[in-house]
This record gives sequence, C-alpha cells and structure tokens, in this order.
Amino acid sequence: MIAKLDSAPLGTPVRIARIDWQLLSHDEGRRLREFGLMEGVEITPLHRGSLFSREPLALVVGRMQVIIRGKQAAAIEIEAIAAAA
Amino acid sequence: MTGAIPTIALAGNPNAGKSSLFNALTGARQKIANYPGVTVERKAGHASFADGRPLSLIDLPGSYSLTPSSPDEAVTRDVVLGQQAGQKRPDALVIVLDAANLDNHLCFALELIALGLPTVVALNMLDLAERDGLTLDPERLAGELGVPVVPTVAVRRRGLSELLAALDHEILVHQLETHAHPAPPPTDVALHRRARAIARAATLSETPVRRWTQRVDAVFLHPVAGFLILLALMFVMFQAVYAAAEAPADLLESGIGVLQQWVVGAMPDTVLRGLIVEGLLAGVGAVVVFLPQILILFLFILLLEASGYMTRAAFLMDGLMAKVGLSGRGFIPLLSSFACAVPGIMATRAIPDAKDRLTTILIAPLMTCSARLPVYALIIAAFIPDHAVGGSPVGLQGLVLFGLYVSGIVGALVVAFVLRRTVARGNSASFMMEMPRYQMPRLNDIAIGLWQRAWIFLRRAGTIIAITTVILWALLSFPQAPADGEMRQVDYSIAGRIASGLEVVVKPIGFNHDIALALIPAMAAREVAVSALATANAIDAGDDEEEISQSLGERLQGRWSIATALAFLAWFVFAPQCISTIAITRRETNGWKWPMFMVGYLFLLAYAAAGITYWTAVAFGLG
Repeated sequence: MIAKLDSAPLGTPVRIARIDWQLLSHDEGRRLREFGLMEGVEITPLHRGSLFSREPLALVVGRMQVIIRGKQAAAIEIEAIAAAA
Repeated sequence: MTGAIPTIALAGNPNAGKSSLFNALTGARQKIANYPGVTVERKAGHASFADGRPLSLIDLPGSYSLTPSSPDEAVTRDVVLGQQAGQKRPDALVIVLDAANLDNHLCFALELIALGLPTVVALNMLDLAERDGLTLDPERLAGELGVPVVPTVAVRRRGLSELLAALDHEILVHQLETHAHPAPPPTDVALHRRARAIARAATLSETPVRRWTQRVDAVFLHPVAGFLILLALMFVMFQAVYAAAEAPADLLESGIGVLQQWVVGAMPDTVLRGLIVEGLLAGVGAVVVFLPQILILFLFILLLEASGYMTRAAFLMDGLMAKVGLSGRGFIPLLSSFACAVPGIMATRAIPDAKDRLTTILIAPLMTCSARLPVYALIIAAFIPDHAVGGSPVGLQGLVLFGLYVSGIVGALVVAFVLRRTVARGNSASFMMEMPRYQMPRLNDIAIGLWQRAWIFLRRAGTIIAITTVILWALLSFPQAPADGEMRQVDYSIAGRIASGLEVVVKPIGFNHDIALALIPAMAAREVAVSALATANAIDAGDDEEEISQSLGERLQGRWSIATALAFLAWFVFAPQCISTIAITRRETNGWKWPMFMVGYLFLLAYAAAGITYWTAVAFGLG
C-alpha cells in the first residue's frame, strides 16, 4: 500500500517508495537529498507539529533527526517495510 | 616550508562540533569579524604545532555541500575554492565529521576531499557515537577516503595534538608531490551512495540503542506539553534576568555612587568635576549597572543553543510562525534578538528564502533586546510595586517585564503577517533543518561566548554611550541658568530648549520634558535613555549630597505619573532607537529602502502604543 509521509503514523519505521520531485523546488529537492532522504531509505516519523498546527514533521533518517514541512512530506510516498521485504 | 604562517580552514556539516573543535584548538586566541562585503561572521584564531610554529585557523559556516542554499553556505564554498574576497585560499582543510552521523556527513567530506587541498578528517564526537552503540574503524575510513582520519573529542581536548601533527605532515607531503587535477564532482545522488557505502564499510558494529534522547523528545516535542515547557523556560529566563541580577547590580550601583561621592570630595568644584560626576559616572554608570542582567540573558541563550534545545524550540514555534508567513528557522535569529538585534539580524543569513529573511530582519527589532532592559528595569523598579501576585511566588515586577516581552512578540507576529501579505509577499517559506542531538554544554564554550558579549557591551558603554552622554552633559550644562532659581538648569540649557520643542509632539502621549530630553540622545542606543535621565537628574541635583544618594528611580517617582511611566515603557517596546540596528539592516538589505521603512513603521507603532497606553491609564485614574 502506498501512502504519503505527511499522513504517516508516528513511531513506525517506513521505507521511502518514491519522491515526486515535481512537487518540490530544486533547492528543496537538493536539501532532502542532503539529509539523505532518497528512494529506498528507511525513515521513522517521530513528532508532528505543536499546539498551533500539524506541521512540521520530525523524522529519523539513519542516525540523524531532521525537520521538514508538510509540503515536502506530501511529495514523499512511503511503503510499509514488511510489504517491501 | 616557507616562512608564511599556514592558514587552515575547519569545514563540515552543521552540528559536527566544528566550533567546539575551533575553541579547543585556539582557546581564547580568536577574533570574530566579518568577511568584507558580506555580514557572515569570520571566526579566526591562532594555534601552534607541537614544535611551536604558529598556524592560523578559520572556522567556516556549517554547510551540507558546495552548492550553497544560503549566504553563509556561499562563504564556505567561496573560501575553500579561493574565491572569497579578503581571504586567501586555505593551505589545508580540516573536515570535521560527526562520528555518529557518518553516512550523511561524508557527502560534503567527499566533495571537499575532491578539491585536492591537503586534508585531514577529524572524526569528532567519537564518545557520543560510542554512547549510541556505534563502533567505528578510523583506519578503514582513512583507507576509503584517501586522507588521514584522526579521532577527536573536541570538548575533552582529545586527539588535538594528533590532528595538528597529521595536518603538518599532509601540508609537507603536498608540497613534495605533483598533483593531478581534482576530479570533477559527482552528482549528488552518486555522492550519497558512495558516502553510505563508505560509512557502512567503516562501521564495525552498530547496536540499536533506544536513545534516552528520544524519550526526552517525547516530552519536549510533545504538541502540548512541549509547548508549555518552552513557555515555562522562557518565563523562567526572564524571571531569572530580574531576580538573579539584583544583588550584583545593586553592588555595581552603590560602587558607582561611592565613586561619585569620592570624586565630589576629592576635586574642587570645576567644570571637569561636573563632567566626571554628572556626565561620565552618572551616565555610563547607569548603563553598566545592567551588565549582570545582560549576561544572565546571554547565558540562557548560549545554554539553549549549546544543549541542542534551540532547534527543538524552532520546531515547536514553526507552526505558529508559518501562520504569519515565517518559518521556525526565523525563531533562532529572533530569540537571539532578545539579547541584541544586531547578531539576530546577522543570524537571518541562514534563512534561505529572501522574503522570509527580509520579514525576519524587519521584525527583529521588536524582540526586546538587552539594551531595553536598563530602561524597563529602571521604570519597573520605580513604578511597579514589588510584591507577589495573589500569594504566588510570581512577582508583579517580573510579570510586567514578561508582559513587555510578550507585547513585542505579539507585535512582531502581527507585523510579519501584514508584511508577508504586502511588501514582502512571496513563496511560502520552507523549513528544513537538522535536529542536533542533546549535548551537555561545555563550560569553556559558554565562557568564551559570555566573555565576548560582555566585552561588546562594555565597549559600547565605553564608546557610543560615553560620547553621547558627554555631549548631552555639555548641552545640559550650558548656558548656565541664572542664579535667581526661576528656571531649572535642565530647562534653561540648550538640550532643555530642544526638548521643549520635541515635547509639543510627544505631550499628547503623556511624555514630559524629562522624556523628551532623553529621547534625542537615545537615538544612538536605547539604554542611553537611562543615562540621559541620570545625567539630567544629576545636574538637577547638583552637589546636594542627599539628592545624589537618592536613586534615579526614587527621583523619577516624584516627577512622573504612573500613566506616563507606562506610556514610556510602551514606547520602548516598539521604538527603533538604535543606530547599530539601522546600520546592520542597511548592510543586510543592501540599501536604505528597508532600514528607512523599518524606522518609519516602528516610530508610528511606538507613538500609537504609547498613546493608547497613556490614554487608557488616565481613564483608569492613573494620570
């Protein structure tokens, strides 16, 4: 099943199935790759938003935690790790 | 080796521990200035090899790649490529890697190594990586990268001499070799694959550790609890500024009083004595008294930054800031602006989007900077009763101070909202940031930071504030009022007459002659308002021992209504009275358009806020 990262449940590791680069600006795409967010990479969404909004999203990629906004998360399609294996 | 001192640049990703390594290598022997033409801070310092030969070190802004996405990342690229004006190309590079984050940090490292400069990798924060259950093989890593790798723990000063020895060797070898042209840079995806492969090869074992930091973050980043903790932290910070600084500030104040009385006793009654007692000591002293408060505020900010909490705060604030068209990234410059808008505005260079950055610059002066503290502290101490609110441990004075800070913040959010829909319209800002791990702040790094802030403040007190105070003293002392006592000297003098002109404009918002007089020199810096009031009152008191011994606050109490005092506070929430801020805004925005806009809108807001406060207070019978 394919889902978007911006609506992924927190705390469950998932794999990036596809990134729709068309939805992102050149700089946004590059920064995502600099963070190591690429197709096939395992990530775990951890925290989302505060009192005021459901953004941004903090996620673990490798040994790093990064913060992105909902707009970037919406361009990232994820799949369950068990399904891909 | 020629006689020239080699220049070595420290480069690496943000949060790799570069600054700690830089501090460990240079100690206090460092100098912060700007690169010419840009406002990116250039941190330079000196160190020496084991045999005593000196070397010069520069700490480059943290970067993810050689393709910059913000002005400070552009400086990093330009320096390592030898294209930065005013900075010769470094003779060697130290690439600082976070040992616990190899797969990511290696991408930039590979780009830097491909440049072909003599290079040594500092595998930093190895202790934290081990804490996280990671065992690395530095030799294997060196083999893969083709450059020496030295394990370091900068904060414990481990690996420093080995690092310098490896550098020395690399520079020497480099001079003896002939070099092939550097390889063309690979594409970023290929770079990442290679980085991950190398990281895997250099990792001996990796135990998945349930990190305690994740449990901490479950609370600190909780949508409700985390936000309340942030609010509580800020509240404690401002209460501490008020409470903890009281004793040292009192000590400084009485010290200055003793000094004044000593000079009065020791010198004949001349113009020079007047200049020293009423001008310099009263004026500069009134500002120096606030050093403890400013240091406490900076202490909190430095601790929040060094511990890694600041990025959490940015995360929590992003949702709110997005609503007014800003990003959480803007929170860090804005929080720094609570100490001083100048470093705050300079810190906006990390914001990638131009309109987001411009808006953040324009609202930075609304954050209550430390220069406003002297003004607030004086007026609050004099006019707000010192008792607890409803039996709680919260003091009314601290609460009013907190309220002033909140007014500035709310004002800033409203202004940002309007600006982003009018003059600074643009793409919605993005917010992509790495979240650093929590770390115990190092005493040494905090001490260096505090010392630099204290020095900047005292230098300001010694220059801008001393000069404006002396000029004001002269304008206040001449011409001498006739001895018949019909007119007070303060009203009769040149400054008094200028103030009388200005008073016409500010009278409707409740300002009196004292305030009109203080506002003019306070254009140089806000805290001068306090020294101006002090100087004017000192001249008014003359040599009367009893009046000299009275504090400035006590004297103001007798002369101002509460409504006037509150209006004065409201004025300073908004007023753009700081030449340094205007100058830095001009430099950051490349022209006079935006600083002029900033000054204009802030004066309008200040006038309106003071007026509304005054009229409301009068309506409640406080006039």
